Amino acid sequence: MAKTIIDAHNVTKTYNPEKVPVYAVQDVHVHIEEGEFVALVGPSGSGKSTLLNMMGGLDEPTKGSVIIDGVELTELSENKLIDFRLHNIGFVFQAFNLIPVLTAKENVGFVLQLQHMPKKEREKRVLSLLEEVDLEDKIDSKPGELSGGQQQRIAVARALASKPKIILADEPTANLDSKSAANLLNIMAKLNKEENITFLFSTHDQRVIKKARRVITLVDGKVDSDVQQTPT
Amino acid sequence: MLLKLAWLNIWRNKRRTIITATSVFFAVLLAITFRSLTDGIYDNMIHNVVSYSTGYLQIQQTGYWDEQSIDNTFEEDENLYQELLKNPNVENIIPRLQSFALASYTDKTKGVLVLGIDPDKEKGVNNLHEKITEGKFIEAPNENAVVLGEGLASKLKLGINDTLVLLGQGYHASSAAAKYRVKGLVKLGAIDLNNSVVYIPLKQAQYMYGAEDRLSSVSIMPNKTTDLQGLKRSIQETIDPEKYEVMTWKEMLSELDQFIEADKTGHFIIIAVLYIIISFGLFGTLLMMLFERKHELGILIAIGMKKHLLAIILLLESVMISLIGCFAGIIGGILVVKWFTIYPIRLTGEIEQVYEDYGIESILYFSSEEKIFIVQTLIVLVLSILLAFYPGYKVMRLKPVEAINS
Repeated sequence: MAKTIIDAHNVTKTYNPEKVPVYAVQDVHVHIEEGEFVALVGPSGSGKSTLLNMMGGLDEPTKGSVIIDGVELTELSENKLIDFRLHNIGFVFQAFNLIPVLTAKENVGFVLQLQHMPKKEREKRVLSLLEEVDLEDKIDSKPGELSGGQQQRIAVARALASKPKIILADEPTANLDSKSAANLLNIMAKLNKEENITFLFSTHDQRVIKKARRVITLVDGKVDSDVQQTPT
Repeated sequence: MLLKLAWLNIWRNKRRTIITATSVFFAVLLAITFRSLTDGIYDNMIHNVVSYSTGYLQIQQTGYWDEQSIDNTFEEDENLYQELLKNPNVENIIPRLQSFALASYTDKTKGVLVLGIDPDKEKGVNNLHEKITEGKFIEAPNENAVVLGEGLASKLKLGINDTLVLLGQGYHASSAAAKYRVKGLVKLGAIDLNNSVVYIPLKQAQYMYGAEDRLSSVSIMPNKTTDLQGLKRSIQETIDPEKYEVMTWKEMLSELDQFIEADKTGHFIIIAVLYIIISFGLFGTLLMMLFERKHELGILIAIGMKKHLLAIILLLESVMISLIGCFAGIIGGILVVKWFTIYPIRLTGEIEQVYEDYGIESILYFSSEEKIFIVQTLIVLVLSILLAFYPGYKVMRLKPVEAINS
């Protein structure tokens, strides 16, 4: 039996709790097992990004708990939480993910530098990651010289750099054309299959939803449905 | 990594960085030029005054300064000279016998300051012989002739080759009286001195006051004037502290020191205003650099960069922009100061007359002391660090989600 990697228990996020409370996420229970490829869907304002942020330790739930690989995030100090993210969670954001003044190689290697990986080892890993996302020929290009799809693939390579157990992606294909989106999804699906990395992404994109093996739908901050499916 | 990132970040907006660094450049250049000019004027003023009077340091018999009487003089001592000249920081020593007398010519009488001098040694220190406006300077330490300040000569209405009678109290209450031929007149910058001084060859002064081989002081001219307290301590170690005391010009001419300190305060305010203005420019740039990168900073925190590292990057960016401007300002400052050191500003026309009337040389010298350049660098460095505190504080309080969504 696969182990639970993300356990969101009774998670609630309320804005303005003392005046007129606005529930972004309300009493959400989600368990995700290692190696799952999960799409978090729902209309705008349904709480997808908020839930994703809380699962990544970027935001704190007003109530409830988020346990990642057995670690209760709300109990970690700020610095320990940052360290935890550095070693366990990879992030891909919607856009403007990369540091514009660094090259593709430097962007991917940045996380490894934060982990104090020796230079030789780091360069080897960066090259293999860029090969994995088919961008080994763009090693010295800066983000401004790359297309949106290429930038997102670099962001995926960076998210993979620290060999995380989980990759959280917030609408990763939102700004991509069909071809780039399909390319990115294929890479993500391949990594999920071959390296057993858990992927959880919020999306509106039907192309992405079709690729997922599990789809959790949020409506008004609550889980409306949670279904397994065969990816197409 | 942090250094590289900071360096790359400051060049994201080249124009803004260049404008900010240029404002630092002009502030440093102006501050250096201003400080160099004012320090140069002060140094020259001090040199002018002390070389004709006390020297930068002066050795005298213990108690002389409180009671400047001929009875508190000390015997000339060759060993003392030797000891002083052994000190590598001592360039020249000037023995003097100083006292007061009544000077009389025909029916005019006036109290005067009598300075017994060694003409050769004075020439080497203050170029007194070049201040002669009429007649000649005294040649030998026992020549029977005197040189007067122009102002005094005018008050006594005497001229070259007239005979001046001096009358005073000599050593151990003996009577001091003598007459001398007026050999020359000098024009001195210090008005008080110009109106009251009579220069007499040292041996003649000792003879007149019945103080054979006695001196009231030995003035010391050092190689460098920056560490007079250090030189004072090193001299004190080599002389008999019971017999002699060493004083700096600041202790003896406290009014001059106070005047300079008061004047400097005004200059500090001008320089402070200059730095406050550029601080706002730099601060604005730092804030813009912070706010326009908020999203990116949020992403960096999300992927595992600790906030204090981001604060350090902002600090480095502030220091780098400041140092670019600062180094350029220092190079510019060195060139400006070098130029004016070689070609000091010579005042002309009415302003020259005003300066000379106040007894100040009408040439504006520049000081090229290293301290001026080092202090400006340190000020800019400290400012850039202080200014980076606020952006650093903002980063430490940054919430990654809010920053990413900004």
